[in-house]
Amino acid sequence: MADTPAASRVTGAPAARPSRKRGAGRPARVNLFYVPAVVLLGLFTAYPLVRGILLSFQNWDGYSPDMTFVGLANYARLFTDQVFRTSLLNTFVYGFGSTLVQQVLGLALAVALDRALRGRNVVRAIIYLPVLVSPVIMGTMYYLLFQYNSGTINDIVIAFGGHRHAWLSDSATSVALIVLVNSLQFVGISMIIYLAGLQSIPAELQEAAMLDGAGGWKRFWGVTLPLLQPAFATSIVLNLIGGLKLFDVIQVLTGGGPGYSTNSVSTFIGKAYFDNQSAGYASAMGVALFVLIIVFTLVLNLFLNRRRLEM
Amino acid sequence: MKSKTARVGALILTAATAAALLTGCSSGAGGSSGGTIQVETGFASGSDLLATFTKVTNAYEKSHPGVKFNLIPSSTNYEQDLKVKLASHDVPDMWWTHGWSRDRYSKFLEPLQDQSWNKDVNPQLDAAMRTSSGAIYALPLDTDVAGILYNKSVLTKAGVDPESLTSWSAFDAAAAKIKATGVTPIEVSGKANGPAGNLIDWIAPGKYTDAQLASLKAGTFAGSVYKPIVDQVESWRAAGYINPDYSSATQQDMSKALGAGQAAFIFQQNSVAADALTTSPDAQLGFLPVPSDTGKPYLIGGEMNAFGISKTSSHLTELKAFLKYLAQPANDSALAKAAGSAAGLTTSTSDLGALQTSYDQFVVKDKTRLVPYFDRVYLPNGMWNTLVTTTDSVITGQAQPAEAVNQVGTDFKSLYGQNK
Repeated sequence: MADTPAASRVTGAPAARPSRKRGAGRPARVNLFYVPAVVLLGLFTAYPLVRGILLSFQNWDGYSPDMTFVGLANYARLFTDQVFRTSLLNTFVYGFGSTLVQQVLGLALAVALDRALRGRNVVRAIIYLPVLVSPVIMGTMYYLLFQYNSGTINDIVIAFGGHRHAWLSDSATSVALIVLVNSLQFVGISMIIYLAGLQSIPAELQEAAMLDGAGGWKRFWGVTLPLLQPAFATSIVLNLIGGLKLFDVIQVLTGGGPGYSTNSVSTFIGKAYFDNQSAGYASAMGVALFVLIIVFTLVLNLFLNRRRLEM
Repeated sequence: MKSKTARVGALILTAATAAALLTGCSSGAGGSSGGTIQVETGFASGSDLLATFTKVTNAYEKSHPGVKFNLIPSSTNYEQDLKVKLASHDVPDMWWTHGWSRDRYSKFLEPLQDQSWNKDVNPQLDAAMRTSSGAIYALPLDTDVAGILYNKSVLTKAGVDPESLTSWSAFDAAAAKIKATGVTPIEVSGKANGPAGNLIDWIAPGKYTDAQLASLKAGTFAGSVYKPIVDQVESWRAAGYINPDYSSATQQDMSKALGAGQAAFIFQQNSVAADALTTSPDAQLGFLPVPSDTGKPYLIGGEMNAFGISKTSSHLTELKAFLKYLAQPANDSALAKAAGSAAGLTTSTSDLGALQTSYDQFVVKDKTRLVPYFDRVYLPNGMWNTLVTTTDSVITGQAQPAEAVNQVGTDFKSLYGQNK
């Protein structure tokens, strides 16, 4: 019998101190199984990241053999570039806006579909289906809906006696539309996370609250919501990262236009790298976005975990 | 036994990963795979140009049994794909230079001025394709000659004589008449990455004097000279001359509208006319020179369909022989016809189809001056996107001309410094 702590307690022998070294005692051959994952991660994540950081200190057009070291000049340009400022602001709108819409809708759908309704599995599947569709396809579908001449939305407006409207010509409308499309596509993820959270809440707690005379709303605010805290943390962090990185939908729906007004930092990076041939500057923006996402995720995680501990 | 199985399993996994990675990565030497010569044609699948180019290439392969080409059609991101290949040293043997053989790709291309066809290159291409020392880096299959494309039937119905449009005031008066007939005077696509920038490329040469152009080329951007160009676009927007579906209109929508008589003018290359005739075979189309405030009307032109050879290709001799074959009058004429443009060599003939009448009048008879694309010659590499985006913001009313000019000035300064 192995000399485990439990075994020691039974025999009265002193407990063996668990090793602090990670993986100690694990057969060395097991480590071989890590190799493919480590190689892939190194090649497709770590190497591009390091190369991107190094590029951000260079002046390079993105294709020619010549590049020159410019120190922090590309980073300094971030503070004076009006287009970068607009893109950064939009990135926050896409990140926080989509997160907000997805949490509200996702939670509402989860609560509604947690009940014993007929056909609820079909409805859940329908709501989740867009997650499986490429954002490019989603963007194209909405582009077709909001087209000026043959778009369905304008057809509906005309049917009700209105006039055609150029929905994609206005920056505020376009930004709101992008938030909406992204939120509707990924609301299924939030719904599934909240459904899992709801199903892990013990029924006795709800029953106890009912016996204490708590109504539906009171139970929701007093029992359900606090116990969904772990689900909130997961859903919010996932949605926020997705929103801050948003690229495909913008590219297909508006191409960053009108003008530069709907660019996110991600789409502006693509334009700066390939169209403006400022690969060094684009890399500096990429590094800035990377740091930004890390900071927001860490802060949010800390905040949500602290709240969970407090409760 | 168990440990042996685990070790073998791990080794197989590692080997599979390595094999997958090695298969995915290119050799890094670029270009040819074995004996096949890689050609990035830049021509869309199903286009007349790709069909003609394939036919000509097949005939060459037949008469040269040891030579085999892989003609790669264009994706929708040709420029980006090519830049990635160049950056990763996966350089094709030969590629379509789309107007940039000298100013963007010359570092990668073999100089070709010692080729026999060099003396036959249309001299109108010199400003865009040759260096000051006379070097040339691509064989031009055609000479891009473009003006303002128009639908004759629309102009006739509005009582506008296209030959009278020799000034911008006459053009604006015509646009007002056309609008009164219920037709969109100027059709532009905001969905495609180009047509908005073309407005600037078309108008700018007529707003700058030669001295101002020289100063611009030397790195001085004067917002006061550039602003009237944007003001003109803004005045068209304010007057409602630009199509209301601008933001969602695609390139195909533009050609369709021109062919169907739903639009009068388009500031685009002649290939749009060919597309318009595909959907409206009976459309009466023509092009007219662009009015100028600083001189006589002009046509825009230069390099469009041209091919250069990678200086690192292991098939230099075969490719030079292939270019010589493409330069033969019968082949060059056929390719230029498929492009809907004038021939690239003086030894070839030009057949512009529906636009031949305009070509004969303005190019052959009137010898209208041909000016190069404004952004390619006078602005630093990488400015095209800025032209497109800033003009887009003016057309959609999201920015005032002054804001657009400021942005152009900022990017000019930044990119000029970068390209130095």
